Amino acid sequence: MKSPRSRPARIVAALLMGGLLWLATPAVWAAPITGTLGATGSDTMASLVLRWGEALAARHPGITMQLQAGGSSIAAAALVAGTTRLAPMSRPLSRAERERFEHRYGYPPRELRVARDALVVVVHRHNPLRAITRQTLDALFSSTLACGGEAPIRRWDDLPPPLDWPFGHVALHGRNQASGTFDLFRQRALCGGRFRADISEYPGSSAVIAAVGSAPNAMGYSGYHHLTPMVRALALINAEGEAIDPTPETIQSGEYPLARNLYLYVNAAPGTPLPPAERAFIELILSDEGQQIVRAAGFVPLADEALEVSQN
Amino acid sequence: MADASLAYRYPLAPFYDVVMTPPSPAPSSLRTLKDRIATGLITAAGIGVLLAILAIGVFLVWETLPLLTHFDTLSLEKLSPLAWGTLKAAIAALVLAVPVALGAAIFSALFMTDRLRARIKPSLELMEAVPGVVIGFVAGLVLAPWVERHLASTLALLLWLPLSAGLAGILWHLAPKALRRALSLESAGLWLLPWIAATAALVLWAAPILEQQWLGSDLATFLDRRFGIDYTTRNTLIVGLAMGFAIIPSVYSLAEDALYDIPKPLMEGAQALGASRWQALWKVALPMAGPGIFSAVMIGAGRAVGETMIVLMASSNAALMSASPFEGLRSFSAAIAIELPEAPPDSQTYHLLILAALVLFLFTFLVNTLAEVVRQRLRRRYQRLGGA
Repeated sequence: MKSPRSRPARIVAALLMGGLLWLATPAVWAAPITGTLGATGSDTMASLVLRWGEALAARHPGITMQLQAGGSSIAAAALVAGTTRLAPMSRPLSRAERERFEHRYGYPPRELRVARDALVVVVHRHNPLRAITRQTLDALFSSTLACGGEAPIRRWDDLPPPLDWPFGHVALHGRNQASGTFDLFRQRALCGGRFRADISEYPGSSAVIAAVGSAPNAMGYSGYHHLTPMVRALALINAEGEAIDPTPETIQSGEYPLARNLYLYVNAAPGTPLPPAERAFIELILSDEGQQIVRAAGFVPLADEALEVSQN
Repeated sequence: MADASLAYRYPLAPFYDVVMTPPSPAPSSLRTLKDRIATGLITAAGIGVLLAILAIGVFLVWETLPLLTHFDTLSLEKLSPLAWGTLKAAIAALVLAVPVALGAAIFSALFMTDRLRARIKPSLELMEAVPGVVIGFVAGLVLAPWVERHLASTLALLLWLPLSAGLAGILWHLAPKALRRALSLESAGLWLLPWIAATAALVLWAAPILEQQWLGSDLATFLDRRFGIDYTTRNTLIVGLAMGFAIIPSVYSLAEDALYDIPKPLMEGAQALGASRWQALWKVALPMAGPGIFSAVMIGAGRAVGETMIVLMASSNAALMSASPFEGLRSFSAAIAIELPEAPPDSQTYHLLILAALVLFLFTFLVNTLAEVVRQRLRRRYQRLGGA
C-alpha cells in the first residue's frame, strides 16, 4: 500500500502548501521589518521586556531584542547619554532627569504607560493579620513617624488592635536603598520619612519574599508580581476605613494605595516617524497580545482608557 | 636516571608532581636571547600589574574628590555603620577562625607524622577553593534558619567542642598504657573525630530538652521576652561562622608554614636539653614563628574585610551600630555590591560608595603589605639560623 517513492513527493507537496500559506499571511506581503532593538532598563521589568521581545521576534523574525537590566536610575542615565533609545522604567523620570534630557536634545522624551504594578506588604502565610493602616505601617517601618503615628511599633502584641501572634518583635525585611521599590515605599507608605536602620535589606524582591516566607515573625514589602503562596499580602486600610486587597482590579483602577505605573521612555523627536522596529515593538506592547503578556508576567494590564492614551 | 629525577622531586610527591630540570650544558646564543625576551616580558608584566594597581587607586581618589566640596555629617552618618559592620564581621570571623586554624597549624606542623601531614595539609588547603558565593548561599539559606530554630544547641556546640577536646586529653592521660599505645598522639586527629561526633550528638540531643526544662521556651524567644534582645535570622554569628570557615584555610596554611620551617636544630636542641614537646612549643616554636603567625592572622583579617558574597548573603545588610552578635550588619563590600549598580553616576550615593571602596582598597593593601613584609623578615631570620 505504502510505496516508498511517494514519501518525498508528499513532503514536497506539504512544503509547497506550507509555503503558499506562509505567502498568504499579511506580514510577508509588507516589507519585512529587521533590526536590533536595544533597551536599557529597570530590573523589575526585565522579565516582562524579555517576554515582549520574544513575542516580537515571533511576529517579525528579523528583529532581535537586547536588554540590559540595571535599574531605573541606570536606564534614565543611559537615555540622557544617548546609549539607548528605549528605556523601560518602573518609575517616572524625575524632574532633573527630564530637564537634562531636554537640555541635550531640545525635546522631551516620549512617555508611554505600558503596565500597572503595585507594592505589597507581606507577612508569613500563617500570620492572622489581615489588613493594616498607613499609620501602623509607618510606625513599623520608619524612624520619623511622618504619617502621624504616635509611637514606633516593635512587637506583634503592640499592633493596634493587639494581634495574637506569639513571636516577639516584628522582623522587618525590604529592598536595597538604590532600588525604585525602596524609594516608592518611602514616598507612599512612610510619607517621605526615613526607614528604621534595622530593616534587613535584600538586592531582589524574590529574596524578600523568601525571607518573609521562612520566618513567622517577619513582615516585608516587595513587588506584586513576586508573590508566592509562602506569604500573604496584607490589605491596606485607606482614609475611609476600607480594607483594600491588592487584586488586579484595585491595582488597575488605582484604588489600592501602593499601585504604580510602569513606563517605557522613547527618545524620539516630535514629528519624525519612529524606526519600524521600535514602532512594531510599541504596537505589540499596546496590543491585546502585549497586555496578555503583562498578565502572564505577573503584572496588571493597563485599564482601557490608559491604553487609549498610550496608543495615541 | 630515574633515581636522579626522583631525588629532585618535592617531598609531597602524591600532590605536587614537580620535577626540577637538571642544569643544561653550555648555553647557546639562542638560549640567551630567549632568556632576555622572557625576562623582558616578565618585567613588563610586573610593571603593568603595579601600574594597574596604581591606576585603581588614582581612579578611586579622583572619583571621591567631589565629596570634599560637600562632605557633611550626613555622609559620616551613612559611612560609620558600614565601617562598624565591616569591622564587626571581620572580628567575628577571626574569633571563630583563629583558634581553630592556629590549633590545627600547631598540631600538623609539630606533632603530626610527616606521612599524615602530607595528606592533611593539602586537603585543608583545598577548602580555600570553595567559592565565597557557595559558602554565603549555604550560610544564608540553610545555616541561618537552622541556627534560629536551634540557637541553644548552636551556642552549646560552640562552647562544648573545645571543652570536649580538652576532656579527651585528660581521659587519655588517665587511660591504661595499652590503650594509650593503640591511640597514639600523632594520629590524635583521627581518633578524636568519632569522639567529637559522639559528644556533639549528645549536645544536640540534650540541649533542646534542657532548654525546655530551664527556660520553658526556645532560647531566642526567652532572650526576647526576658531581656528584649532582638534576634535577626541572618546575624553576626552566622557571618562569623561562614566567613570563619572561609578564612581558616589561608590562616592555617601560612601559620603552618611558619611553624614547620622553624630550623630543626632549634627544636631538637631544646628537647635535648630536657624540654618536653609542650615546653619546646611554648618557649621556642611560638616565639620564633610569632611574626609568621601574626602575618597569617593579618592575611585572614584582610580577606575577612574584603570578602563580599559571604557577608552579602549571610547578613541582613541592615546598617546598624549595635554590638549584639544576634543582630545583623552591613559591610562596605556588601554595600558596594548591592547599591553601586543602581546608584546614578555623579550622585552623592555614588561618591560615598566610591569612598567606601577607597577605604577598603587602602585597608587591604596596607594589611597585605604589612603581612608580606613581616613574612620576608621571618624568612631571613630562619636562614640566618641555618634552616630551610
